[in-house]
Amino acid sequence: MGPLVANEIITTDTNLVFAFLIGIGFGFVLEGAGFSSSRKLAGVFYGYDTVVLKVFFTAAITAMIGLLFLSLFGWIDLSLIYINPTFLYSAIAGGVIMGAGFILGGFCPGTSFCGASIGKIDAMVFIVGLILGIFIFGEGYPLWEDFYKAKFLGIPKISEFMGIKDGLMALIIVLVAFGMFWIGEWAEKKFPREEY
Amino acid sequence: MNSRLLLAGFIIPMALIIAAVPSNTTKQYKLTANELLQEAVSYEPYIHPDNVADMLVQQDPSLQLIDVRTPDEFDKFSLPGAINIPLSELLADQYVDILDQDVKMNVFYSNGSLNSNEAWMITRQLGYSNNYVLQGGLNYWAETIINPVPPSSTSPDEEIAKYNFRKGASMALGGSVEGNTAKSAIPAKPVITSKKKKKRVAGGC
Amino acid sequence: MTTKEQKSKAYMNPYLAGVLLGIILLMAYFVSGRGLGASGAIKSAIVTTVDAVAPAHAEKASYFSDYKEAHPKPMKAWLVFEMLGVLVGGFLSGALSGRLKLKVEHSPKITSKRRLIFALIGGVLFGFGSQLGRGCTSGSALSGMAVLSLGGFISMAAIFGTGYALAYFVRKNWI
Repeated sequence: MGPLVANEIITTDTNLVFAFLIGIGFGFVLEGAGFSSSRKLAGVFYGYDTVVLKVFFTAAITAMIGLLFLSLFGWIDLSLIYINPTFLYSAIAGGVIMGAGFILGGFCPGTSFCGASIGKIDAMVFIVGLILGIFIFGEGYPLWEDFYKAKFLGIPKISEFMGIKDGLMALIIVLVAFGMFWIGEWAEKKFPREEY
Repeated sequence: MNSRLLLAGFIIPMALIIAAVPSNTTKQYKLTANELLQEAVSYEPYIHPDNVADMLVQQDPSLQLIDVRTPDEFDKFSLPGAINIPLSELLADQYVDILDQDVKMNVFYSNGSLNSNEAWMITRQLGYSNNYVLQGGLNYWAETIINPVPPSSTSPDEEIAKYNFRKGASMALGGSVEGNTAKSAIPAKPVITSKKKKKRVAGGC
Repeated sequence: MTTKEQKSKAYMNPYLAGVLLGIILLMAYFVSGRGLGASGAIKSAIVTTVDAVAPAHAEKASYFSDYKEAHPKPMKAWLVFEMLGVLVGGFLSGALSGRLKLKVEHSPKITSKRRLIFALIGGVLFGFGSQLGRGCTSGSALSGMAVLSLGGFISMAAIFGTGYALAYFVRKNWI
């Protein structure tokens, strides 16, 4: 049955309508959870507010378990969904640069749009930065093209990498996530902040 | 605090279930049994040896003969230009591009038509099109093309024309069974043009 | 309770928000076969702009022209529509809970100007990194983790690991 668009149950144009609706849901939840506030986001790095950690991992494990159940019932063909290809070096280097951008700028791309939508000027400036950054990457592409394409690992799953079943991997991730939630709540008590 | 425990109470059992059940690795059949029955009733997968012989003589590039017998049998005798995909190997990944395409006309054959029918059923159920079955298999091929029965002199003209065609085809294709161990000079290796398949969704951030 | 919190409604419970976000992500996979994303929409916009302003240059810059080739109408992309939705959704949520306000949010210890400069630098880095890493926090890390992609976990670890490693040096900006 799913994914609907790959199985031609809906057209690509309808798919764009769904994209808009899904985006509304995405933006609504992000804002509602407080992701429009950079100081709330940055809190995860200092332990005074771990909402990012909680929302992020709860969403990941919910979707992960959901997908595995849909696949189990035969409602979605997991071989048809998009999985990011893994290029080891650029994934690590990109992640490190993004991490630096996160702690300096206080947003990530999705949350900056969310912040901008409710009038955060710092979020708008962050978006200007994003545009510049992507533009610079595109302009200087020949310089880092080799690095960008180095060490291609295909589209491996972490479960294949560890050599265990998807379901077992999911269970481990869920348990790790709850461990982190517990630490996060402990940290919020230990490094409390009245207002930010 | 409570909400974390509530969530844990819900998600962890789900995760335990998903870890305990075997993952769903069955290949999804594109057609249900019912649809397949409809197909089998309404759709004619058989190609008469005359048509196949004609295409072979014309060297029609769209014809792809697929021998579903064992490699041993294939080595002993095969039709010109045929490739060997033993029935037991039908679902191997390396053959997907050959079986699932919409450029060539695949014609399965075996000695009779039992194995080739099975091959057709399976590929059909996977949603592949353009696969056919050589009517009557090699046995019928031998009767019609390799050793055609001469019609009696009172037969209608078209019977005689047919016989002449078969004689001609038989000669063009290398005569009798015994003389046919040498395989055609330009064998196997079909040019494969994959059709636009259901693809993984393209994406990225 | 601080005055700010009295004025605006409290934020959603994070676990509830997480479950909702997970369901939205699941819907994205079920309907469109792909996860959420953000930076790709900006790339679409940039490609369109570069193409309109300097078409000859857009052809020459292979990163943009490759993208253009793969997406003939870059603005008619899934992520562009999704991000328009994010703006609408964020605005709705902000309006409903009384958080719509034009302001620069920063720690009392720093000036607005400093906050904006850091936001710009952070944006540039994040934009660059998102292209190098083939996706940002939502596209690579969140969506990748949901489908157990190894790349998603690597991105996630690298983003948060670096964040923690550098947090001490810029603590003044936040606390």
